[in-house]
Amino acid sequence: MSLISLEKITVGYGNNIILKDLDLKVEKGQLVSLLGPSGCGKTTTLRLIAGFLDLQSGKFIFDGKDYSHIPVHKRNFGFVFQSYALFPHLNVFENVAFGLKLRKVDKSEIKNRVEEMLKIVDLLDYANRFPAELSGGQRQRVALARALVIKPDLLLLDEPLSNLDAKLRVKMRVEIRKIQQELGITTVYVTHDQEECFSISDKVAVMNNGIIEQMDEPARIYKYPATEFVARFVGFENFIDLQLISKDDKTLVLKAKNNTEFVVDNLDLYKGIEPKKGAIRPDDLKISSIGSHEGSNAINGQVLVRTFLGRDYQYEVKTELGNFIVNHEALEIFEVGEKVSLYFPKDKIILVK
Amino acid sequence: MKKYSFYLLLAPGFIFLFVFAILPLIMVISGSFTTEEGITISRYIDFFKDGYYTTILLRTMKLSLIATIVAAVFGFPTAYYISKTNINKRGLYIAFAVFPMLTSPVVRSFSWMVILGKYGIVNNLLTKIGIIKEPLSLLYNEFSIVIGFVYLFMPLMILSLVGVLENIDKDLVAAAESLGATRFKAFMKVVFPLSIPGLIVGSVLVFTGSLTAYTTPQLLGGTKSRVLATVMYQNAMTLFDWDTAAVVATVMIVVTIVISGLINSFARRLDSRR
Amino acid sequence: MHKTSKGLKIFAFLVYFFLLAPLVIIVFASFGPDKSLTFPPRGFSLKWMANIFKVEMFRKTFLISIKISVIGTLIALVLGIPAAYALSRYNFRGKSFFNGIFLSPALIPGIVLGFSLLKYLVIYFKLPIYTSLLIGHVIIIIPYIIRVISSSLSNFDYSIEEASMSLGANKVKTFFTVVLPNIRSGVIAAFILAFINSFNNVPVSLFLTGPGLSTLPIQMLIYVEYNFDPTIAALSVILMAMTAVLMFIIEKTLGLSYFAK
Repeated sequence: MSLISLEKITVGYGNNIILKDLDLKVEKGQLVSLLGPSGCGKTTTLRLIAGFLDLQSGKFIFDGKDYSHIPVHKRNFGFVFQSYALFPHLNVFENVAFGLKLRKVDKSEIKNRVEEMLKIVDLLDYANRFPAELSGGQRQRVALARALVIKPDLLLLDEPLSNLDAKLRVKMRVEIRKIQQELGITTVYVTHDQEECFSISDKVAVMNNGIIEQMDEPARIYKYPATEFVARFVGFENFIDLQLISKDDKTLVLKAKNNTEFVVDNLDLYKGIEPKKGAIRPDDLKISSIGSHEGSNAINGQVLVRTFLGRDYQYEVKTELGNFIVNHEALEIFEVGEKVSLYFPKDKIILVK
Repeated sequence: MKKYSFYLLLAPGFIFLFVFAILPLIMVISGSFTTEEGITISRYIDFFKDGYYTTILLRTMKLSLIATIVAAVFGFPTAYYISKTNINKRGLYIAFAVFPMLTSPVVRSFSWMVILGKYGIVNNLLTKIGIIKEPLSLLYNEFSIVIGFVYLFMPLMILSLVGVLENIDKDLVAAAESLGATRFKAFMKVVFPLSIPGLIVGSVLVFTGSLTAYTTPQLLGGTKSRVLATVMYQNAMTLFDWDTAAVVATVMIVVTIVISGLINSFARRLDSRR
Repeated sequence: MHKTSKGLKIFAFLVYFFLLAPLVIIVFASFGPDKSLTFPPRGFSLKWMANIFKVEMFRKTFLISIKISVIGTLIALVLGIPAAYALSRYNFRGKSFFNGIFLSPALIPGIVLGFSLLKYLVIYFKLPIYTSLLIGHVIIIIPYIIRVISSSLSNFDYSIEEASMSLGANKVKTFFTVVLPNIRSGVIAAFILAFINSFNNVPVSLFLTGPGLSTLPIQMLIYVEYNFDPTIAALSVILMAMTAVLMFIIEKTLGLSYFAK
């Protein structure tokens, strides 16, 4: 049984529905990320789990119990805010001890637990400082310590790293993952940064406009996006409308608008799904001089734009089927206006809804 | 229940104000319209027919208006100056402008008695220099009341204006000048129009404050120059004519509401023109 | 930033002179030895300062005024802080109506309020005059509390409330342990501002005084109407010094630029 089960959750009123019939399951001990652009509903989902928001319909089951209407202060979930929300009038020690004091924990035990937690986040020397005296990264760690010290049943993080500079972000996400795994605490993590999300999560739920487009392990989402939205999110920039003609166990044959045939490897996850588009990454698409590829999985085009990326050049190529972005190593260069051939390897095309 | 808990937060204060402030006020106003025979405006007719009272009403309005204009004319440049000072020093400037407001109106009016009195500073100075032989009667007339009002409410006008002027983007004047306006023109065409909301707020405060003030006209006006507030007190506590006092009170409230309403709607019309 | 013109600076300073000179004159006059108030004073004497304490009514009503204003402010804080919190934090139907009601005492002319309270609380409902005086002061104090506390809460980061709740505190506990401590300076400033305005009030106290009950401003008013000597100047100086001290405290807690609304 999953630890968290959101069942057909709807949040919002009238014209302003934020989440509609959302289903989400999170297993114990996992770090699950909610990933998506701003406005996709990931923060709403997180705040719903925390209890800061009410659901209009559906159920939130936690550890077998219905938590849908339990007030925030009774849920025992640790929440880390994007702005950290440290209490300005309390020092670091008191901030972290806040939840323990409320639970009427014994004074000496508070001291032990708080100091141990501060040691874990490497802030023991700052126990007497006030939030105003700390750097962004330090405040972040205090917020984390404060949420963890109460031994919560669940850890919820709302874009905890987005206010930090790039280097710190990379360092901190590793720290958070390490602590999460050491403590074995189930965690839901909200972010809009794909790289951050994929590097630390057990599972990722990609969200768009209030629905989950795909939920899977990061590697599988990266290799096999299920929808156009997810594909774009993980770096597929080229899409072709395709119609299914025939299929067998090994391959699928599809047709594009200009009757070009595309042969694509058949994957298990295509079972029962009606593919609408083919997607391919700029790195996987092959560009060569005109005439080198004919027949299926190939089209001709003309170079519109060339951009230098360092190791590669990136080309925008205009074709009958639309414009495509393709990367090619700098050793071989194509000029603007040059006519070229584009080849789509059958194992690199991913079919999406 | 969680959704309506904030009404609980409002309840004690609201009930207190309603029972002890709003209700008695309503009763006074409605009482002025009631006699043993029923609802009547006879008292108001008597009030407005009586030259004594209409003189006082007009005088009070006139003096309040003059005070408002004087406060605006002198307060505006001062507020403008303050808004351009260094932000670190500004607090100090504001403090000095606000300090008089925190002293008792008795103290403030008293100081002008000292200055304007028959043996007061102005007269002493003028006699010493030799400009006059007999002391001037500067006190206990409309002149001294206006000075008193201005002294009392100028800080309010200044504060209202500084608030608004501070929020005007400094670059706007620079932009106007870069387009060819002189500093004065830039002020008139950019700063002044944008500061009108503050001017309106300040004017309403000064006018209504002066209209309803008691201490200052009592000390500086003497018996010859009564205003609404002093005549109301006289009716209530000296003559025990509570009915007339209630009428005066209602007139005061109505005039206050009408004038503020007029000024505010005038302000809104100016706003919508932009 | 443009250099402000000399003319404007001189004008502004003249206005400041107008505002502050009368008070300075009183300070000097209070130390003059003569009964008549002259300026510049012809000597230095503390006898008028001492005289203050000889006037029994000043001593008695000073204490009464302090009591009324302190108790009144405390009551107003209890009524006003939750209201200001509700008005700042939430959006709800009728918000502007409630906002208007809470700020209305500032719009009602003081003497009209005093008169209404006398007529209905004291005479009609036979409330004791002391209670009515206290009620009157609470009424005029409330708008100050609402304005200052609302201003303090206008930039409040309410996510610390959510943090507190997520750590196990219910709404009431959160209010007292997390919200209040962080508007402490606002509460202090509100207290001082409210206290000063209550202490100095004339119109409301005017009607609600009687045998055995009066406030210091009222006594000063009566004194001035019959005696014109520097005693009042001396008392004014002491009150001004008190005010200056309180203003200093406000500056240390809230910062004086608060005053520009």
